[in-house]
Amino acid sequence: MKKRIRDPKKIIDRIDDLPTLPRTVLKITELVNDPKSSAKDLAGVITDDQILTARLLKLVNSSFYGLPQRISTVTGAIVLIGFDAIRNLLLTTSVFDLFADRNRKGQQKQEKYWDHSLGCAVGAKVIGNYLRHDNIEELFVAGLLHDIGKIVEMMFQPDEFSKVVAAISRENILMIAAENKILGHNHAEIGKLLAEKWNLPAKLIQIIAHHHQPDVAGSFAMEAAIVHLADIFCRALNMGFGGDNKIPPLDRFAWESLKIQTSGIESIMETMQDEYGDIRSFIS
Amino acid sequence: MIRVNIVDLKPGMVLAQSVQNHQGVLLLDAGTKITKKNIRIFKSWGVVDVSVKGELNESKTAAETPVAEVKDSVEMELKAKFSDVLDDPVMVEIFNAARKQLMKDLPKN
Repeated sequence: MKKRIRDPKKIIDRIDDLPTLPRTVLKITELVNDPKSSAKDLAGVITDDQILTARLLKLVNSSFYGLPQRISTVTGAIVLIGFDAIRNLLLTTSVFDLFADRNRKGQQKQEKYWDHSLGCAVGAKVIGNYLRHDNIEELFVAGLLHDIGKIVEMMFQPDEFSKVVAAISRENILMIAAENKILGHNHAEIGKLLAEKWNLPAKLIQIIAHHHQPDVAGSFAMEAAIVHLADIFCRALNMGFGGDNKIPPLDRFAWESLKIQTSGIESIMETMQDEYGDIRSFIS
Repeated sequence: MIRVNIVDLKPGMVLAQSVQNHQGVLLLDAGTKITKKNIRIFKSWGVVDVSVKGELNESKTAAETPVAEVKDSVEMELKAKFSDVLDDPVMVEIFNAARKQLMKDLPKN
């Protein structure tokens, strides 16, 4: 039997062709984080990339934003939807691209994982709105990336991953339980390492690392709690497939700190279903 | 493909042709499954009718299986998912809310 590698860091190191984010997206992240950069600077970087430009214009002209007139310039788009929204939009579409098409056999399965991620992203956004959180876009991206570790495992450790899948169907357990048992590490740890490698903002790293235990996410515990709850809601609403047929136990800390009234659960879920349908149509 | 008046458009129908407003701005791509919100947006843009996939009688989304049976299986699947966590009263609330939402999506007869 092959010796199990316990240290997830070693796994990340072993994967030499771990996907990297496109240079443009890294550059854009930098610009967005720099208070001195202007819409013109940002537009300059985006227009250098034809695909990003086309995508951005398609999105701002879609029903998601529902603007009354057609936007035909990148600068116009930036002024209208804002820096953070642009960064998150480009990050989202780039991450989708990175993992698309690499393995045709696994594609259908992968799509279901993405649907789950999208469901969680929508959930995090809707819960954030409900709580009047000040950075909805970021919550959306956090939801989208929370299970990125699962995709890495699926693509780069296919043999080990199939053992995890077998254990899940045999024992009907949560994926994180199967991973800990069989791999000795889990997707939250792998996701954290990938996010660090990509130099994502600290907030995103913490949320990805602690979406199963939001209370240890330090100053981002609130955001981790939102994604934790969104994960539960989107599974309950059958949005995609998170790798198992279980609902993760609700973290006490998360529930108590968010102070959502039980009457709010229904309205959050209803909005989630509306928005999930909408958003799937423009991202795919 | 059939042409459906906006007042007869129902969530879950699939667009056969893309929908544009009078200025030619794309509202929704062909192949999209329509949601309640889409219909609201169409109405606010003054869209009169759209093309959806399917035959005339199919578009009424008449379910082959009796609704009661589908409801039972939705409920059973949901119960199985929640089986380990229902000792938490908040989870019971989440379960009930999810069941209500999922039932709403089922065709009525």
